[in-house]
Amino acid sequence: MSRALASPSLAVQRGILGAFILVACWEGAARGLHLPAYVLPAVSDILAGLWSKRATLTDAAGYTLLEALVGYGLGCLIGIGLAVAIALVPALRTAILPLATAINSVPVVGYSPLILLWFGIGVSSKIVMVAMAVSFTILLSMLAGLDRVDRRAIDLMRSFGASRFGVLWRLRLPTALPLLLAGMRVSTVRSVIVAIVTEMLGAHGGLGWVIYQAVLQIDFVQVWAAIFVASAASLAFFGLIGFLERKILFWT
Amino acid sequence: MQAARLPNPGPTTEAPQARPEPLLYLGALNKTFGPVAALSGLQASVGPGEFVTVVGPSGCGKSTLFNIVAGLEEPDAGGILRFEGKSCHAADLLGRVSFMPQRDLLFPWRNVVDNAILALEVEGMPRDQARAKALKMLPEFGLAGFEKQYPNQLSGGMRQRVALMRTFLFERDLMLLDEPFGALDALTRAMMQRWLLDVWQKYRRTILFITHDVDEAIFLGDRVLVMTARPGSVKLEQVVDLPRPRRPEIVTSPEFVRLKRTLLDAIEEESMKSFQSSIAQEKPQ
Repeated sequence: MSRALASPSLAVQRGILGAFILVACWEGAARGLHLPAYVLPAVSDILAGLWSKRATLTDAAGYTLLEALVGYGLGCLIGIGLAVAIALVPALRTAILPLATAINSVPVVGYSPLILLWFGIGVSSKIVMVAMAVSFTILLSMLAGLDRVDRRAIDLMRSFGASRFGVLWRLRLPTALPLLLAGMRVSTVRSVIVAIVTEMLGAHGGLGWVIYQAVLQIDFVQVWAAIFVASAASLAFFGLIGFLERKILFWT
Repeated sequence: MQAARLPNPGPTTEAPQARPEPLLYLGALNKTFGPVAALSGLQASVGPGEFVTVVGPSGCGKSTLFNIVAGLEEPDAGGILRFEGKSCHAADLLGRVSFMPQRDLLFPWRNVVDNAILALEVEGMPRDQARAKALKMLPEFGLAGFEKQYPNQLSGGMRQRVALMRTFLFERDLMLLDEPFGALDALTRAMMQRWLLDVWQKYRRTILFITHDVDEAIFLGDRVLVMTARPGSVKLEQVVDLPRPRRPEIVTSPEFVRLKRTLLDAIEEESMKSFQSSIAQEKPQ
């Protein structure tokens, strides 16, 4: 792990090698064993299907990413806002945390019928679902980050005459950043998953909707093509936040 | 040379009355944490411009004393706390005393200059102005050319100098230094002590300095306070009238050695007490 981090080029090489072996085995199994498409289509067929449906898939990916990104942004704002409120007014902790935990003790998809009922099958229901899923993770990681602060550093700030807000701004928020950004990185994948799953339950478009339609039409090559696109979109989002994380946290 | 030995308070305890108003006066100070008495009847004063060092056995309440003077903790009711001639609560001292804790506590996301100006920023000074001020002070703290470095790129001695600079830039009459050189190796430590004396003589701030090291206490201080075992109070108040500026070789002079003997005896006695009481506490189990 540490060696792979020390030389990123080696890590990239290994990753590419691993992916290549997986694809080769997959292709070999599908072709060699003559698996039917509804069990496992060959990778080459999926890529061909991906190319032929590229316009539909691009539209769908844009639709899903829009929902995921807006929901993600909203969820981050809500999670950070609640955590900061708790940091400034500690009494809020016992009011907010049990409620947030209760809401999140059910898999967030469990709420989707209600959310679809309340917000319709358009974009807004997906955004609400993603925001719900993301905000809880962000709230918890931000709180953990804010609590991680060194008591003695707070004392030092107080001895300089800093107010509670001053301590928060100059000390606790920067201290919380590593855990917040780790939470944000993990939440990227979650946001895309929740958007897709909610689309499968009712939508006008998006990758989840494409998958659902393809299943109805018994077009498993297209199901796999949509999954490939979704996976690529998730990875790109994850990579982007990971990249920002490394840029911002230069001191860790 | 007077070697005042308690219980005869000697000439040193009369001094606060004879001198003009002390900058800081503590009288009959108690502090208990639940069943534990950390301080009991502590009395001490620090005159303007004075360098006072505090030594004592571990766990004697030195840190409690410091936290009170830094304004972080209130003493028990009934104690006397006077600062700049006025009676006050410990909380009133927040923002009026420049405090340097044991660990450097530099913020890893701030470079040397931005760490140094932390207190100035808290006071509301514009960043550019604060930075300009800090940049001028860097050479004196042996940090010239390091302004853009981050704490993880600095040696222990340099980190400690940045922390000291942060304390100096927070321009208050009283500076509280809590074992600032405790974590440094002996050589760096000796250099930092000499350097601190130079800086102190130039800026003439009042310093209250905690240490474990008797040599350090004598070498730096105008006066050394020896604390008793817990509950802490001042056992011995020893004037150090070695001439200034003090040269490193002073530590082998007969006067220095005599002072050290006196102080070590007092500390030894208290260390034994706290050692025995800690054994006595363990026995019942």
